[in-house]
This record gives sequence, C-alpha cells and structure tokens, in this order.
Amino acid sequence: MIGSIILTLALASSIIAMIMFYLSYRGYNNTLNIGRIAYHSMAMLVIVASTILWYALLNHQYEYKYVYSYSANSLSTGFLLASFWGGQEGSFMLWLLLTSIVGIILQSYSSKRGDLEPRVMAVFTLATSFLLVMVSPLFKNPFASIWAEPVFLNAKSINPAYFGMPFLQSFMFSDGSSGQNFVKMSAELVAVLKGAGISLNQFIIDGKGLNPQLLNFWMQIHPPILFIGFSMATVPFSFAIAALMKNDYKDWVKQSLPWVLAGSGILGLGIMLGGYWAYEMLGWGGYWAWDPVENSSLIPWLVGVASIHTMLVQKKSQSKGGPGKYIKTNLMLSMMTYILVLYSTFLTRSGVLGDASVHSFVDPGMLVYLFLVIFISSFILLGVGMIVYRWKTLSQEPPADESILSRELALFTAAIVLCASAVIVLVGTSAPIFGQAVDTFFYNEMHLPLAIIIGLLNGVSLLIKWKQSTTQELIKKSIISVAASILFTVILVIAGLTDLMMIILAFATSFSLLVNLEIAVKIIRGNLKMLGAYVSHIGIALFILGVIGSAFGSDEVDIDLIKNQPKEAFGYEMTFTGIEPIENNTKYAFHINLKEGDKNHTISPVMYISDFNNGLMREPAILSMLTRDVYLSPLGYEEGGDDGHNHGGSTVTLEKGGTTEFNDVKINFNEFLISGETMTAMQTGQDFEMGAALTAEKDGKKKEFKLKLISKQGNRELTSESFPDLNMKIELVNLQAGNIQVALSALDNSQPETTAPKQEVLSVTASIKPYIGLVWIGVLVMFLGFLVSVARRLKESLV
Amino acid sequence: MKNKYIFGGAIIVLFLSLMVYLFTQSNIQYEEDFAVVKANGKTVKATGQWVKEKNYEVNKEQRTFSFYLADAKGVEMKVLYNGSIPNNFESAVSVVVTGKYENGQFHARDILTKCPSKYEEQYEEVKTTTSVM
Repeated sequence: MIGSIILTLALASSIIAMIMFYLSYRGYNNTLNIGRIAYHSMAMLVIVASTILWYALLNHQYEYKYVYSYSANSLSTGFLLASFWGGQEGSFMLWLLLTSIVGIILQSYSSKRGDLEPRVMAVFTLATSFLLVMVSPLFKNPFASIWAEPVFLNAKSINPAYFGMPFLQSFMFSDGSSGQNFVKMSAELVAVLKGAGISLNQFIIDGKGLNPQLLNFWMQIHPPILFIGFSMATVPFSFAIAALMKNDYKDWVKQSLPWVLAGSGILGLGIMLGGYWAYEMLGWGGYWAWDPVENSSLIPWLVGVASIHTMLVQKKSQSKGGPGKYIKTNLMLSMMTYILVLYSTFLTRSGVLGDASVHSFVDPGMLVYLFLVIFISSFILLGVGMIVYRWKTLSQEPPADESILSRELALFTAAIVLCASAVIVLVGTSAPIFGQAVDTFFYNEMHLPLAIIIGLLNGVSLLIKWKQSTTQELIKKSIISVAASILFTVILVIAGLTDLMMIILAFATSFSLLVNLEIAVKIIRGNLKMLGAYVSHIGIALFILGVIGSAFGSDEVDIDLIKNQPKEAFGYEMTFTGIEPIENNTKYAFHINLKEGDKNHTISPVMYISDFNNGLMREPAILSMLTRDVYLSPLGYEEGGDDGHNHGGSTVTLEKGGTTEFNDVKINFNEFLISGETMTAMQTGQDFEMGAALTAEKDGKKKEFKLKLISKQGNRELTSESFPDLNMKIELVNLQAGNIQVALSALDNSQPETTAPKQEVLSVTASIKPYIGLVWIGVLVMFLGFLVSVARRLKESLV
Repeated sequence: MKNKYIFGGAIIVLFLSLMVYLFTQSNIQYEEDFAVVKANGKTVKATGQWVKEKNYEVNKEQRTFSFYLADAKGVEMKVLYNGSIPNNFESAVSVVVTGKYENGQFHARDILTKCPSKYEEQYEEVKTTTSVM
C-alpha cells in the first residue's frame, strides 16, 4: 500500500518537474528551482519505493504478489536482491530506478552547460513520467497485493498450522493431473483470515521462488547493467529534442557524445553478459542464438554505435564554422536509439513474442499492451514532429561532398552498415508480430558480408585522413598490414578454414586488428587520451575473430561415459568419476576427469530436479583454456547396480510420469486419480478413494491398469494387480503428494533371472570451442575503449 | 554529395534485395492446425501440447527423443527429435516444434518448451478441478 502511494507521489513530482522545466525553457524565471526540487523529490521517492520492495523481498512479505511470485525462503540474500528484477513489474521498477539516478547526474551535467538544463530535463522527465505510469497501480505495479486478483497458491506455501481450520476448506482446490493442492487466495479469504486474526504474512509462509535458470551469478549483474544502458539511451533522445527546441545544432553533439559513448559501452557489456549467462547456464553450447530477447537489446545498441560515428563527423566538420555535417542523421539516430529501446520493451513485454522465444512471456493484458503502444507512439510523434517543425532550418545544411577516400565517408559508411545490421535484426525479430518467424541462418547470412565490410572499413578509415587522401598514400600506409593479414589468413586456411566468405572475413578482420594495433602502439607513445577508438576497434576485431573460431572451428560429439572407464574425445581422456550432491543435496555434480597428456582437470556438469517446475534441469561445465574451451553439457544419467531396477520383490517409489522396469516389463506411472470431491471427502473424514493410473508394457504390448487407496470408515485399503502372462504382481504400498510406492514381485515366487548389475552411465554432449575466449576478451576490450573515449569527450563537452 | 549517394545507395539496394531474398528463404510460418502441418509438408513452427498419456520415448542408440503432440482440436502427431529431452519438458505448458512432417512423423530440429511463466501466474488452469475417477 505504502509503496503504491510513494510511486503515485513520485509520478506527481515527475509531472510537476516536467511542467516547471518546460516553463523555464519558455522563459519563466522562478520555475527552474521548483523543477529541480520536484525532480529530486521524484528520484528520492523512487529510491524509497525500490528500497521498500527490496525490504519486502528480504523479509519474505508474501502479502505482495510480486514477492510471492518471484522469491522464496530458500533463496540466498544475493538472489533475494536479484529477484527484484525477476519479473515484469520489478524490471520496470529497476528501469525506472536507474533512469531516475541517471537523471540526477544529467541534471547536474546539463546545469553546467549553458541554458541546456530546462530543455533536456523537460524531455527526460517525460520519459520518467511514462515509466512511473507503467509501475502505477493501473498497470505493472510491483506492490500489488496477492489477493488483488484471485490467485491459486500452492498449498506448500501455506502455513500448515491453519490447514485444520474449517473455513479454509471452501478455498481448497486440487489439481487432478499433478496431485497438488491449491488455496484460492481472494478478497473473501483475506476477509475471513482477518476475522480470524491471522495476517497474510503468517498465513503465506513461502513463495514460488525464482526460475532455476535465473539462479545464476550472472543473473545478478546482467539485468542491472543492461538496464543502465537502456536508461542512458534516454539521454541522447533528450539532447536531440533539446537541440530542436532551441533550433541550434552546434553544441548538442559534443554535449551528447560522452553519454552516447558511455551508454553504448554499458549496453554492449550488458548484452554480452547475457550471452555469457546463456553459454554458462543454459547449455545451448553457444552465447548467441538470435533469440528475440537478445536481439531486441542489440538493435538499439547498433543504432547507438552508428550515431557515434556520424556525430564524430559533425563535430569534426564544425571546425570550419557552423553546426557541421549530418545534423539530420545525428538527430534521427539519437532519437531512434531510445525509440528502439522502447520498441524492444514492447516486443519482450507485450506478449507478441509468445511462441518465439525461450523466454516465456505471458500476455500482460490488453491495457498494458495499449499503454506500451501509446508510450512508443508518443516518443515517435515527439521526435518526428520536432524534425518536421524545424525542417526549414535543418534542410539548410550545406551539401556534404565527400571524396571517396575521406574519413568522413568511411565513418558515414560505417554508420550505414551498423544501421543495416540493425534493420536485419529488427525485421527478423519483428516477424512474429505477423505470425512469421525467420531461421537463424537469415541473421548469419546477412551479417557475414556486413562483418566483412566492417572489418575492411575499420582498417581503411584509420589510414585515410579527414577530407582527402591520395591513393598512393593509402597503399603505402596499408602495405604492411595487408601483407601480414594475408599471411595470417593463409595460416588459417592451412589450419582448415575452408568457407570462402569466412576466409574473406578472417582477412578483413585481421586487417582491421593490425591497423588498429599499429596506430594504438603509436598513440601509446604519444597522446593516451586519443586511444579510445582504437582500443574499441581492436576489441571488435578480436570479437569477430573469436566468433569465426568458435563458430567454425567447433566440433561436437555425444558420448556415453561409463563410470571409471575412460573415453577419448578431442584429444582428451574423459572419465566419469562419480556423483556428489551439492548445495544441501538439492543438486548433483557429475565429476568428469579430463586428461590431456599428463595434465588432469576435473569439471562437473550439474543435473537436478527443480522444485520450481518439477523438471530436470541441466547445467553444463566448461574447461576454459587460452586457445579453446571444452564444453560438457549433460544429457542424462543411468543409475547402476542395486537401485530398484531389474530385480524382484522390491519396493519402488515412482514420481508422476516415472518409469521402472521389472523382469523386462516396463511400468509407467501416468497420473494421479484424485478428484475435487475426494479432497473434500478426505478433509471432512468421509469415505473416499483415490488412485494412480499405470501402464505395464512388454514387447510392445501395453496394459493399462489402476491402483487404488480406498478409505472406508477410517480403514485404509490398498489394491494390487496381478498379470499372469507377465508373471508379475504389483501392489500399491503408499500414495502421497507427488509420488507413489509400489511393491513388485514375481507371481511364481521364482527369483527373477539375475542380470549383471547395470553400469552407471553418464551421457554428455562434449564440444570443443576454439578461441571462444576472444569473444569475451573482445567485448571487454571494446568496453575499455568506450571508457577511454568517454573520458576524452567529457573534457571536450565543456569547451 | 554524389559519392555519398552512390556509395550508400548501392549498399542499400544490394542489401535490401539480399534481405528480401533471404527472408523468403528462411521464413517459417506458425501453424497451430496439425491437419495443415501434415498436409503441406513444409517447414513450420507447430504449437501444441504434449500428450502426457502417451509419454515420451528416448532411444539411446539413435539418440532420438520422440513424443506425441496434440493441437487444440485434438489432432495428434508423433514428433521425432535428434537429441535429448529439453530442460523443463515435463512441465511445459505448450511445446513449439520447428521442422517438417515427413513419412508419418514430424521431424523436429528444434523444440521450444513454454513453461509456466517466468513472468506471470498461471494457476488459473487449476480452476477446473478434474475428476478422472
């Protein structure tokens, strides 16, 4: 309740700030200070609201629907903090929080640069206002009460002390197919509980927990970094509109540039951390699958980076006086970056990608969908409207005539190539809106030529000067790099690279790497602050080389590892040495010894049954080395020996869907037979019966049968079933939530034929990924380059 | 000025035509009607529900995984996949398989399991308590 009130106050402050900043821009004198106070109060209120949400998560206040849905008692403090952004409401909240903080810095930054502040902050507070409406009680409010809409809670999360309460019975439901019980949480139940003097936090004692795939170290840092990048994308948009408001296009470029650089660097890092998470956790074997969620954050990044290139041209061309070249391009790209962030949010939060992504998105409802559409449309209209409004001034830009060998044209072409890449990803990712989908080869094939152009440009543009270079000069300068790149490519071809396009790409990339390295070395001896661009481009070249290596040099094989019997793969002797329960026996680590020559490494893929979704979860294990990774993704495991399989007269516990074997008869436990009436009868002490449906199968012949638990006047009776033709008797021993126990015996009392003890087998997909480390190193180097550039451009923005 | 347009224009034209071509090549339709999936034999993304009663089968020698999928009308088809059971398969709300229907079964090269929601509650399904006894 208090959280919603605070967020509503924040919304009011944000709107007041927006109006006050706008009035200051219109020339009112006393409004600027009110705007500043209003903005800072808004930011403070958002920080307080976020703290309340964190507090509720840490203290397990399951009266909040959000806390119940995305956290649980068993989560560690780190994951409890991270469950803040486990769901939609919270991720909007995180976005809002980070945007508010970015705004505090932006306010201080813009107040030191002329009359910039009122204009920039008026646009910026429009964005915060929209986000605040998003988390308001109307839409995705993280402080919604659990009973606001009737919801079914798993009986496991209800305090068992209250199970006996007679009033609860009319709120109990049972799901026949899973055998689980639920409590219908609604306003009526809350009223009843209140009457009985029970608080919601006493009644609900555990939450649903976080999706196990999110329980990973990278999950704790990937979303916040990504959202910092998203939040910072608001800034270039604000600067562009501010320039249009003033109708002056000279200063905004240098003022905006440090923000674009910092934002793109952080967003890029965030995207790649997501890729690393996928690689390490999801066991796809890769870091990038062109999944819509990955794609949708890549699109604004590409456009943002494109805008950096053309903004540099504008800034450089200002030395001749005037606002410089590419004004329209820069304004549009700056605005597109943020609009694409919003579009990305729309794609991933509106439910349109329902069937297209590994991330599951449930339709958030028509209202939210509409609001997202309004959100994006407002910013598009604002941007387009302002450009149209100022078209007369904008089209006065002197015609830019670049010679082919000028750095201006090279930079412009780079921006075009980056935008082309953005268009490809946008088209592919948006296809599900029209009920279509594209195969990943669409992205791969389209990007290959683009990557080649990027590599060549990346090298050539640095060798040519601003304005004009002569061909001879270029040849002279590039001859060493070209020769070395050819040599490098030939080595790769000898090493086994056969695809023609890949060979060209390898050449282009190594060329750009060498040129950038050469210049970087020269700079290190001279002026260090100029280093940024070269470091970034070395990063991208290393990244592409890593992609070539890991995508085309990788190899994969499925192997069965019998315990303690070494098997050879990729030059390693792999031995499955045993299982170890980890993390309080909730997971199992499967130790595998990798022997290469006289070096031994042990890595351990993990498998476990998740309580969250009752599914088998698998986590890969990676042995990272300088030149390659060995990647082991578990497929399955067969217990060996004396474990209830294949021997007579034993009791076996079967989970729903589980299978066991007895004398070559396969027995399958299909489902529980429990009806709603049974539940009521059970609780009121009347007679009832419930049971389990099973199938016995031998030589392709199937028999379906039922085993029952019948309760008559308090006496329990358990049924059994005999199959003379299968020489098997099966008795129900116990039936409880989640599983049944059955006793299996032979009818003729003969001992079943003794089979040799089964071997313990672990099946894994082993793959080798050469130079995948370059992918991560490349991105980190690129990020570093961005930081250096930010430092340089920050100084220039004050001049 | 001219250079800019010639350079940019050429790239854009080349790029757009390549994109349209590849888009049509790689385009996959969603299909929720299995009768259509079976009839046209094209590569599609078929969405359906796993027929739990028929369970699934893992063939260790050939490393295949097969199961039955049913559409909303109850039309069933057998799906064959070269690989192991995807994470979360047992608890999937629905399954999206990408592939083609050939020789009486659907050959999937990709299986996507939609799980009860990272983002939203889905216990509403439980509302209809089933009586199977």
